[in-house]
Amino acid sequence: MGSLSVTGLTARYGKTVALHGIDLDLADGEFFVILGPSGAGKTTTLKSVAGLVDGARGEIRIAGRDMTGVEPYDRGVAMAFESYALYPQKTVEENLASPLRSGRHGTWTPAQQAERIKEVTTTLGIDHLLARYPRELSNGQRQRTALGRVLVRPAEVYLLDEPLSHLDAKLRAAMRAELKQLGELSGTTTLYVTHDYQEALALGDRIGVLREGRLVQVGTPAQVWTEPVDTFVARALGQPEMNLLDAAVEGGLARVGQAFAVGVPVRTHDSVRVGIRPRDLEVVDGPPPTDRLVLQGRVVLAERLGRSVELSVDVAGVSVIAVTSDHRVHEGDAVTLAVDWSRVHVFAGPDAADADAADPDAAAPGARLGAARRPANAALAGGAR
Amino acid sequence: MAARELGPGQRKFSPASVGADAALLVWFVFSLFPLVWMVLLALKTDAEQISTYFAFTPTLENFVTVLSAEGTRLTSVDFTQAILTSVIQCVGAVLVSLVIGIPAAYAAGRWQYKGSNDVMFTILSFRFAPELMVIVPLFVIYNQLGLFDTNVGMIWVLQLVTMPLIVWILRSYFQDMPAELEQAALLDGYTRRRAFVMVALPLVRPGIAAAALLAFIFAWNNYVFPLILTGSQHTPVTVAVTRFLGGGGQAYYNLTAAAALIAALPPLLVALSIQRYLVRGLSFGAVKS
Repeated sequence: MGSLSVTGLTARYGKTVALHGIDLDLADGEFFVILGPSGAGKTTTLKSVAGLVDGARGEIRIAGRDMTGVEPYDRGVAMAFESYALYPQKTVEENLASPLRSGRHGTWTPAQQAERIKEVTTTLGIDHLLARYPRELSNGQRQRTALGRVLVRPAEVYLLDEPLSHLDAKLRAAMRAELKQLGELSGTTTLYVTHDYQEALALGDRIGVLREGRLVQVGTPAQVWTEPVDTFVARALGQPEMNLLDAAVEGGLARVGQAFAVGVPVRTHDSVRVGIRPRDLEVVDGPPPTDRLVLQGRVVLAERLGRSVELSVDVAGVSVIAVTSDHRVHEGDAVTLAVDWSRVHVFAGPDAADADAADPDAAAPGARLGAARRPANAALAGGAR
Repeated sequence: MAARELGPGQRKFSPASVGADAALLVWFVFSLFPLVWMVLLALKTDAEQISTYFAFTPTLENFVTVLSAEGTRLTSVDFTQAILTSVIQCVGAVLVSLVIGIPAAYAAGRWQYKGSNDVMFTILSFRFAPELMVIVPLFVIYNQLGLFDTNVGMIWVLQLVTMPLIVWILRSYFQDMPAELEQAALLDGYTRRRAFVMVALPLVRPGIAAAALLAFIFAWNNYVFPLILTGSQHTPVTVAVTRFLGGGGQAYYNLTAAAALIAALPPLLVALSIQRYLVRGLSFGAVKS
């Protein structure tokens, strides 16, 4: 067990810069999730911590020890590769025994090794596959074997690269729940990489959102979910994605087409984007509530996805996605959607930087400016009545 | 008639395919005929050796002569000894090439640096540079160093034949192997050397077998180097075979053919035993850069 601190980590492959200065600080035992789309530099970050990237520069400290010039095998890190990287000529048992036999992670008698391997494989549900070769396993089983090779040994830091990505949806959900319970993972500092926002929200003590080699936001799952730092983070979390609606600002009021208007923080730009998560929109009956933002429109498409219904609603010419569990809604119906003001996000518009080039405090395009407010003139907020 | 799917190797019957098969047959006969002729020649007596008749009384006497003291008397080279010499020289050359070539191929496959392709190309150029170009200076050097007509000298010079093959074929094997396997071994706590021995080496074993045996065959077939760089003490089979053509005296075509057939046997057996690997090894070296 140990802390992990990364300062100014850059990495390049030839002329391509993969990481532009990553700063991370993981407390001892923390479970940190890096979330990002493919190509964002997630794997490169992990491999740099492990000492496997030649072109990596910056300071990495594991348990307070500077890792400059320290070989991968002396860093005390264990890593699960997305490609599994199982030794094809060895059985599952031999694969898991490999770190125990290297002599760098304590001395293990054959009996102790067998016991430890049995323990880990039972937890992962692969204890019946010990004598199989990797080529005889399904992708999900391979992935669990790769995870087992990490968990079987003590380490300062676990590095897990998409360890659940190739499991089928059902198993993934089950493993996600189990991972959190694993003693090994709860006790060991873990850097976990995924492109699945649900995994990130469910597992992470904190989440770092990675975009094109830069960490754009680091925070608790609640922070990242409720206060996304910009439209990229807002979009990265949630399925369906957050509605992002272009709005023109005039006198502290942002108008989304003819659909509705919201009060925006003072000193904002000419154009903003209003963000509302589909699940925050609620279908309401009867008179529209006055203390919330109300959108009235017509259902264009209603996709019934089991428990929930995904609605595509036309609000005075603006298309808004909403997710509800109200199965009474049908295509062609007129609906009233309501959302708490605190859950209406306001982001800087795409031309923000140009408009405020002279202003050093100007927000970058897409940056979150804050939550929307109820406009002073309540009548304006009502939408297409 | 019900439609039938064609199995592997099956083709639809058509006049064009018949024509193609006939052409292939002609080509087959044409290219194999020298071999057939050599077998016939090896079975003929001295009296019949220059006849072109297909009808004759076959005899195995030529094979006996080649391998006996009578053959040694005719050529002043012991043919059985020459086979042994060839084995020593070729196996020796392949072993030396493996010891140096496997690490070299691994480094070349894993480590891309400025000019790494130039180094690889230089190694390859040993293979396609004409042997005759370097043979005269080599002859002078070998004479001065006392390497002329020695096994060590032959093993050394055969590196020009075996090394490029082994390095190039094995490099492509190493390149095909995901680097993450060795990275996993590093993180399991193994040093780079142990990761190489434990993970990389076992996985390229088929490649090593193919490359080694291919190199063995090329070394066995080499003619120009031993022709110039050996005398009568350490003559390999390729040179020993041609001794039966005689130097000024009687030319024994039938004995030459018999000797050539015997000499072709070891590489033939080797090739047949590893046919499967060989094709893969060859295509690896040929197709991949």
